[in-house]
Amino acid sequence: MQPVISIRDVLLCHDKGFRLSIDNLDLLQGQIYALTGPNGSGKSTLLRIMALLALPQKGTVCFAGDGTVDITEQRQRVTLVEQSPYLFQGTVSENLQYGLKLRGVEKDEQNRRIKLMLSIVGLEGFEQRMAKELSGGEIQRVALARALVFKPDLLLLDEPTANIDSNSLQAFEALLSKLTRYGVTVVFSTHDLSQSDRLGAELLQIENGHLINRPNGAQDNNDANKWRNSHG
Amino acid sequence: MGYLSESFVTAVGMIFSFDREVQLAVWTSLYTSSCSIVIAALIGIPAGLWLGIKQFRGRRLMITLLNTLMALPTVVVGLVLFGIFSRQGPLGSLGLLFTPWAMIAGQTVLAAPIVANYVMATVNGADKRIMDTALTLGATPFQAGVQLLKEIRFGVMAAVIAGFGRVIAEVGVAMMLGGNIRGTTRTMTTAIALETSKGEFAFGLSLGIVLLSVALFVNLFLNFLQQR
Repeated sequence: MQPVISIRDVLLCHDKGFRLSIDNLDLLQGQIYALTGPNGSGKSTLLRIMALLALPQKGTVCFAGDGTVDITEQRQRVTLVEQSPYLFQGTVSENLQYGLKLRGVEKDEQNRRIKLMLSIVGLEGFEQRMAKELSGGEIQRVALARALVFKPDLLLLDEPTANIDSNSLQAFEALLSKLTRYGVTVVFSTHDLSQSDRLGAELLQIENGHLINRPNGAQDNNDANKWRNSHG
Repeated sequence: MGYLSESFVTAVGMIFSFDREVQLAVWTSLYTSSCSIVIAALIGIPAGLWLGIKQFRGRRLMITLLNTLMALPTVVVGLVLFGIFSRQGPLGSLGLLFTPWAMIAGQTVLAAPIVANYVMATVNGADKRIMDTALTLGATPFQAGVQLLKEIRFGVMAAVIAGFGRVIAEVGVAMMLGGNIRGTTRTMTTAIALETSKGEFAFGLSLGIVLLSVALFVNLFLNFLQQR
């Protein structure tokens, strides 16, 4: 199976002395990964590096595919939903349209996808609701729908279930399981190890800015290098 | 009190009888101030956004410079541009001195730092997640900047209105670069200064009332937009 993203020799140092150092990490298509570790271990920073929102001082983050070096084109294949997501002012529909417009999706197709995605996250009929009037759980689900509506290759979720109730949690976990069947790679950070078991996720454990285990499905260095060479 | 109240009645009469002199001064003020605030916004909004987002060496120095430019006395701007636009000055051959264009240039210099500074402050106070959200949804840095401006549009509008307030109420630049020529460069403020010194207090008062009305209208408009 081809890796969606390959991280090699990445080093990122914060001003306050924190260092994140990842030597080698490949994440495979259609897999689900649970990123665990204590507070301040570097989970959010690693997610931001994968989302190309934080650029490391050293190392490379490569996406599979056409070998483009344009950062915006690469960013369009990955998306990050933060623990407290920001919804733009305006309606739920306008929020979901944002990524679709940037990708030049036609209006009819936009409407079809928005309707479908809102029904998947359990928010049917929310199209014209104002984003600022939503509850915390609804904001989380709209943010997820906004991320999924443009079909990313890699979906990154920073503690996605921290703000949702137990009923929504079940629906959310069911949705994540379904996504991998469509070939989406999902990485979510969590403190709840039982959640990763329920989802059958591979564990990525991080401590003090270092990965202390590698996922079982990850390729060895030789395979990874072959893939990297073949994609420039 | 009789003098003041009589002047007030005369002033109101001049406004509602659409006195030609009052009309000309109001038109010149609105025309030059509007042109200068449009140019100042085109310069100040991107500059404020850039200074608010980017971290680079010399940023502090640029902010200090911007703050200094905000407090520029209007007569100093008038003096410097007078030197530039006067016949012996570097742009003297353009013949801009004592035309509305010279006034627009001076007023732009006054308003652009105000717009830039207010926009920068609004960007600094904006939710830090806005840019990242736009970027992670696939926006280019430019598109993310545009989205940020949309999210903070009321702050940007307040910046533009603050700049407009500064230029429509100033006298120094209009007097020094415009020359207070009747029908061409005589604004409400220069007309008030001139007519009052000539003893035409009622005329000055009528223009003062119009100036206040413009300020009131602009603020009501801003409130209306914020409540939408």
